Parts: sequence; C-alpha cells; structure tokens
Amino acid sequence: MLTFKLAIRNLFRNTRRTILTAILISFSLMALIMADGLMLGMKDLLVSSLTKNLVGEAQLHRKGFRDNFDVDLYFTGTDDLVADLRGRPEVTEVASRVLSGGMVSSSYNVATGMVFGIDAEAETRIGNIKKAIIEGQYLTGERGEIMLGRPMAELLEVSLGDRIVITLSEADGGDLSQALFRVSGIYYFGLREIDHNTVFINADQARQAVGISADASHELVMVFEDLSVSREKTSTVFDDFNNEQLELKSWMELNEDIATMLELSGLSTLVIGSILFLLASLGVINSMFMSIYERLYEFGVARAIGTTPWQLAQLILCEALLLGIGSCLFGGVIGYGLISYTTLHGLPLGEFEMSGIALSGNIATQMQLSQFTELPFYIILLTLVAALYPARFASKIVPTEALSRSL
Amino acid sequence: MQPIMQPLIKTEHLCRHFGDDEAMLVKAVDDVSITIDPGEFTAIIGPSGSGKTTLLHLLGGLDNPNSGVVELAGTNIASMSGTELSDFRRDHIGFIFQAYNLIPVLSAEENIEYIMLLQGLPKAERHARVQDMLQQVGLEGLGDRRPNKLSGGQQQRVAVARAMASHPDIILADEPTANLDSKTGIALLDVMKHLNEAQGKTFVFSTHDEKIMERARRLIHMRDGKIERDEVR
Repeated sequence: MLTFKLAIRNLFRNTRRTILTAILISFSLMALIMADGLMLGMKDLLVSSLTKNLVGEAQLHRKGFRDNFDVDLYFTGTDDLVADLRGRPEVTEVASRVLSGGMVSSSYNVATGMVFGIDAEAETRIGNIKKAIIEGQYLTGERGEIMLGRPMAELLEVSLGDRIVITLSEADGGDLSQALFRVSGIYYFGLREIDHNTVFINADQARQAVGISADASHELVMVFEDLSVSREKTSTVFDDFNNEQLELKSWMELNEDIATMLELSGLSTLVIGSILFLLASLGVINSMFMSIYERLYEFGVARAIGTTPWQLAQLILCEALLLGIGSCLFGGVIGYGLISYTTLHGLPLGEFEMSGIALSGNIATQMQLSQFTELPFYIILLTLVAALYPARFASKIVPTEALSRSL
Repeated sequence: MQPIMQPLIKTEHLCRHFGDDEAMLVKAVDDVSITIDPGEFTAIIGPSGSGKTTLLHLLGGLDNPNSGVVELAGTNIASMSGTELSDFRRDHIGFIFQAYNLIPVLSAEENIEYIMLLQGLPKAERHARVQDMLQQVGLEGLGDRRPNKLSGGQQQRVAVARAMASHPDIILADEPTANLDSKTGIALLDVMKHLNEAQGKTFVFSTHDEKIMERARRLIHMRDGKIERDEVR
C-alpha cells in the first residue's frame, strides 16, 4: 500500500514529464486501436469487393477449367445442380455462367477479352454487376444485348446501341463462331481486369455461340448466408460437390494471393504495433531513468534506512504500472471516440487498389472488444517490461555511492 | 558483582581502501579498532578527508570493508550483503544525514512511519509511535506537513524521529547540523542529547561542528584514516 501511495505521488512530482510520457503511451494505444480497426475494415471491404464482383463466395467448375478456361470443359445438368444447391439452407443464391475467351470487334477496333454468359436475374443477387452500370441498362434477357466496361468501350470507340461482333471458338470442335450484339450497357467496376477485358451477354445466347446444350455451363457461382461458410468451408457442399468431375472452390482458394495477403494483414498490425511499442517503451525507459536520476540521493537514503533492493524495484514497477493504466484509460477513451466516429462515418482514403481490387469511398473502421482489452493489456505489459531495466538499475543502487554522488 | 557490559559496536583492524593502483591507493579507513558502548554520545571528528564519514558508513553497514570486522550487537555485519544488510540496518540502525533526506512526497508522519512499514509493524503501533516521536522531537501538530512545508530544523527533527522510530540499537548521524543555523542546530542537539540521556539511546556523530563536540562525552579524532586520539570526557 505504501509502495502504491509513493508511486502515485512520485508520478505527480514532475507532472509535465508524467503527462508527456502518458501522452506517448496513450497515443500508441490510440494508434494501435485505429490501425487495428482500419485493418479489419479494409479486410472486410477487400473481401466484400472481391466476393461482390464476379468471384462470388464459391464456384463450381469442371476439373481443370480454371487452369486455362478451356471452353470444352463444361458440365451438363445445370438445372439439377442449381436446384440441388438452392435446396441447401446455407446457400443463398446460385447462378450459372458460360465463359469463353473471344475477340470483341467494333467498326473501329478490336479487343480480346473474356465473354461471360450470365443468368442476368440470378446474378443481381450474387454480385454488383447491375450496380456497376453507368450507361444504358442491365441485361434484360433479350437477344443481342451486350454490356462492356467503359475502358473497352473507349478502346472500341462504341457507345450505347452500337454494333459489336464477338468471335469465339465453339466447344467440342474448335470451329469459330460469330455473333452480333448491340451495346446495351456500359459498366465500371473500378477493377482493371474486368473493366478492360470482360463483356457480359445473356447465358442462353452464349451457350448457342459456343455450341453447348441449354443445360450446360462452365461455372456455377454461389453465395452463402454467411461469409464464414466459404471462409471456413463449414458447409457439406464442399464435400458433396468435389468429385472426379467437378470441383467446388471457395473464394479464398480461387484467389490464393489475396487470401495470403489477408492472412498477412495481421502481420501488418503486428509490425505497426511493434514500432509503436518500441517508441513507447523508449519513452517510458527515458522517463523512468530521468525520474530515477533525479531521486538518486533519495534512493540512497531509502536503501540506507532499510529499503531492500526488491522494494525499490517494486516502487519503479508500480510507478510504471500506474502510468500504463492511467495512459491506457485516457488513450482508450480517446481511441473509443475516434474509432466510434470512423466506424460510423468511415475514413476518407480516396480511391486505391489493393491486390488488383479497387477500393474506394470511405473505409469504415471496425470496433472490437479486443481493442479495448487485449491492446491496453499489451501496452501495460510493455510499460512494465520497459520499466524492468530502470527498476533493476534502481535496485542496484549502492547507498554510499548514491549518497556521495548527489551531495 | 557488576555485570560486564558488552560493547554495542566493536571494530577490529577495519580497513577501507579506494583505488586499485598502489600509487593511487586511498586508505580512507586504515586499521581502525574501536568499541562503542550502549548509551554513548560520541563524535568522530577530524579534518575533511580524514575518513570519518567512511568509518560511519562502515559502522552502519552502508559500505563493506576491505578487511577487518564490524560487530554490531554481537553480529559481524562486515560480511553481510544486499537484502541481509538492508534488513539489519532497518532493524538495528538509525541514520540521520546532513541534507535531511526526507521523502518529499510523504508527510512528516508518513516519513516517520515509512521505516515501521518496512518492519511490518501493525498500524496501531505505528501510529502510536509516530505521535510519540513527533512529541519527543517537538513537532506536535506538524505531522501532516510535507517536507517542503517545514523549515530545515524541523525537517532534521523529522529525520531524527524517523531514525528513532524503528527503535534501533544505535543512531548514526553524518554532519546533522551542517545545514542548520547555529540556533536551530543547538535546539536539535538538545533534542538528541535529551533522547540520549532520558532513553539511553546511543548516538555516534561524524562532524566538524563544535557544538556537537562540546556536548559529546567521547571524541574520536581521526586523521588520514587512522584514529589519532580517543578522548573520553
């Protein structure tokens, strides 16, 4: 109790220094809370940007299709597969697709790209294709409709209603087929790969163009009731639909580089945290040493009248503990205010790209309980660790040396 | 038959040298053998650098000798170290320093109580002793003041009370009046003299102060680390 009382009073002996050190520690906690919240927010935004575009949360293909998008690797029985998947409670929506590489020509120019034949209505419940339309309209199911990205439209020098000819190879033979379309919509996802190289047409017309039957598809894309189903593969669909012919892969398996990056995002927080921890600990060590040197004679006297080395070390550690707790309370309150605001209103970080995914708008940070329990705990622990060296120094003070040096 | 009085402190061939180089060797205390009996009011005197403070530190277990023996109440403290010595000092020795050296963030009462807390005494006993000590040094009513609200003389009285509070066997005072004006110094010495006479407390001073020398019943004269003369009056 005496140690506690002494520690509190000692902290207020040099109020300015204590406040400066406390600000440093508080700032570290605030920065950590914000960095963690921002990282979680960006992670969520990245995942949602990815899964809400074309990838969905899982995709079913013929084995090997993803290797080179071979048009021959289609599967039949689409309606049965879709019905089976839609019958599962964890699956929210399924859409079939026909995919083929092709040449997209206008009267003025030619581009190569990926032709997506999509089930227009079902796709609206899978991703944001419809929302990405900036001119014209979304596919209605009528023949001859085509949607292309703004960069490709600029390259081909076409606008709404202009003619486009798509040349692609037919399945099971390799003959070339051509089909005429009219630009019905222009979209902009903000994703280079899609905006420059992808066109969307109705699935039925795509099947005709590549010469596959009405119940054949290259891809089934689906979303689940919860993202964790695909992230942790908790659904039985991953067992049931992976067989000799078919493979069902989650979005993480389909985008391994992004999945790895997401895994590593925890590392970034760790690196930021380590730098902040290092700065804060240097501040604590410096402050503690200044405080000890100021009180060297006093420590000499304390040792002379019978204070043991461990009791002196306890005093320094107690001061550090109180400084850490006080700073974390302050930093926690400010951090709570900041993260509450940015969770609600987002952080305006402009438009930027991460791992090929365009992110824009305000990034909403995420608040978690651990930011106010674990992070302060680590900060307090670090403050104590930083104080170990000064505490050891104080405990080693030789009374006669301290008494003679200060006189 | 009169019982043989055991000395409170006994040193034998006590040496404390500083420096490793033979040419630069400083013999601060050189082969000192003395005894101090209970109830003495003794002053160690001598010119600056004569070794009196070093001897006081050795007697109080603040420093370890290079050779020789320091026995306090029959215990050789010369070979003790670290926590063992801290505990011994806490329970057996009271210190008074030139610059008062109270803990500035504690009140006068808390400064006196501090050492008893280290001893683990119960609260009631601590408080009773604090009040008793404050009364003995003439500071009743000033116990709640922090050192910066006390005069130099009052601070040194608190230091005396602190030194006495643990009921030590001996009180070692290093130039206790050096920072005090003459009148305050005399008043403080009177307090210590009274404690010595009324309670039989043993005081050993290291000093230049003539006022202490006048009151001391024994003067140990030191020069160049050696005892030049031991004068009992």
